[in-house]
Amino acid sequence: MSSKFTKEMVDDYADKLLIGLTEEENASVLAEFEIIDETINTINKIQDIEKVEPMTHCLDDFEYELREDEPEESCALEDILKNCDVTNGREIEVPKVVGE
Amino acid sequence: MKYMNKSIEELHEMLVKKEVTSAELIKESLEMSHKIQDECNAFVTILDDAQPVEVTDNLLSGIPCGLKDNYSTKDILSTGSSNTLKDYVPFFDATAVSKLKAAGAVFVNKTVMDEFGMGGTGTTGHTGTVLNPWDKTRMTAGSSAGSAAAVAAGVYPYATGSDTGDSIRKPAAYCGIVGYKPTYGMISRYGLFPFASSLDHLGVMTRNVKDAAIVVDAMKGIDKNDMTSWDSSHIHLRESLDGKVKGKKLCYVKEIVDLSNYENPSAELKEHIANFMKTVELCKSLGIEVEEVSVDKTLLNASPAVYVVISCAEATSNMSNLTGIIFGPRGQGDNYIEMMKDHRTKGFSPLIKRRFVIGSYVLQSQNQERYFRNAQRVRRLLVDAWKDLFKKYDGVILPVGSGPAKHLDGSKDILDKDTAVLEEHLQIGNFGGFPSITIPNGFISNLPVGVNITGNCYDDANVLNIAYALEEAMDYKNQIAKEV
Repeated sequence: MSSKFTKEMVDDYADKLLIGLTEEENASVLAEFEIIDETINTINKIQDIEKVEPMTHCLDDFEYELREDEPEESCALEDILKNCDVTNGREIEVPKVVGE
Repeated sequence: MKYMNKSIEELHEMLVKKEVTSAELIKESLEMSHKIQDECNAFVTILDDAQPVEVTDNLLSGIPCGLKDNYSTKDILSTGSSNTLKDYVPFFDATAVSKLKAAGAVFVNKTVMDEFGMGGTGTTGHTGTVLNPWDKTRMTAGSSAGSAAAVAAGVYPYATGSDTGDSIRKPAAYCGIVGYKPTYGMISRYGLFPFASSLDHLGVMTRNVKDAAIVVDAMKGIDKNDMTSWDSSHIHLRESLDGKVKGKKLCYVKEIVDLSNYENPSAELKEHIANFMKTVELCKSLGIEVEEVSVDKTLLNASPAVYVVISCAEATSNMSNLTGIIFGPRGQGDNYIEMMKDHRTKGFSPLIKRRFVIGSYVLQSQNQERYFRNAQRVRRLLVDAWKDLFKKYDGVILPVGSGPAKHLDGSKDILDKDTAVLEEHLQIGNFGGFPSITIPNGFISNLPVGVNITGNCYDDANVLNIAYALEEAMDYKNQIAKEV
């Protein structure tokens, strides 16, 4: 196992995503990192790769058309709140966010 | 089974002639749904209260179908097969769902998928593994696992799917049916749970090519709610199927098909490639010119990693709204950070967590150039290589996967260096947004295998017509899984 990727590093990235990992899950991430990194090494050897424009979208010939800015009816609040576990009247309830 | 093994056109004719009613079709489809649920675990929800609709001129009217569970359905549970949305009931329909409803389609179930579409085995849904109706010790592949199993088993003539890497086209092969994803943006993505927005396609799984054309004709169209959708009103897929393919040109890629590229190829792989070459000869007998071409092997070998890097990066961003605060089960904790972490840690499967961590890593500013930007650069090189082929050829024809459905006990869904190119090449169809269709082309170890044809963007009618002609020349059209 290369020392480039460590268990601590994986845990750190998972924590940034607000995700906890088991030992097994952590090991699985490490294993896949190794394979990806090996392939990326190959990619970096492609001549003049840095000169290629990154492709961010399937359809390069696509012309975006902005639609008119017309007001539409909003969704009913009670419909939206139906999927929330903890509500208080017309509001979503959360623990205190600002300082004590 | 009296009706649900039939094609859409056959059922429509029976409905119009009043030889059967929409209610009778729904009844049989629901009975089949419960049977296949018991045997294959294909559904998140079975809609036992599905109501018949009026039969109109529309071919889909009154006919039952299934929806993958990442299609938002108003007032119907839509989980994406994730515990993070296990009770989520949308308050709106996806555009594709609205269009199917307007056509008179009757939804009888929501199908199990790999969690949020981020898997290729059919084993990561929160309601458990989907079993292949041809052999229940085998996987269906994924992520459109339940849709594939249900169509193959004869629950209805079609079910919707979504495809970010090969999630329609590979399960179609493993289940012996047709899987078609049209050009990117032909069907609106509005209301489809996003996985990787630049790669996500909607599509359909059927038992014959004409049914796929009929369903996508109904689902497609420009949509003000998806700015990447485009006007396809000039494209009439079903009407363009005439089976005339003499003079068409296809190619296959030597570096993917030639056995010498694989160390110690298995007997099934050898048979799969030999069967593919038989299909190539069949194409030639139909008057299609088929040639072998070469593509830079370094690029091809990079494709699976390119897919993982781009899709994981986009998914990490897309799914940051899954916090359990506004929707989804509320997590435990003394503050909102702890609550979100508890929700996400308990809610996501190990596979999803792994993909999120990879996505986060490649998006870090110090890593972006090496991983994310370079992956996007190779994406362009691969798409350019395929577009070069499309200057000369109507399509690329290739085998799907390295053989028939894999055993469930061997499922792992992690990059495998040895057969990665063969297993993953359909992702190039997502990189370029190309229309791409898988049809069954034979049996290996008594299990179905598939062949794929991929063409240039907007050339869907041509791609489907070639598949239509090829399907007619083989014996696998409208087949129903035999173990069921």
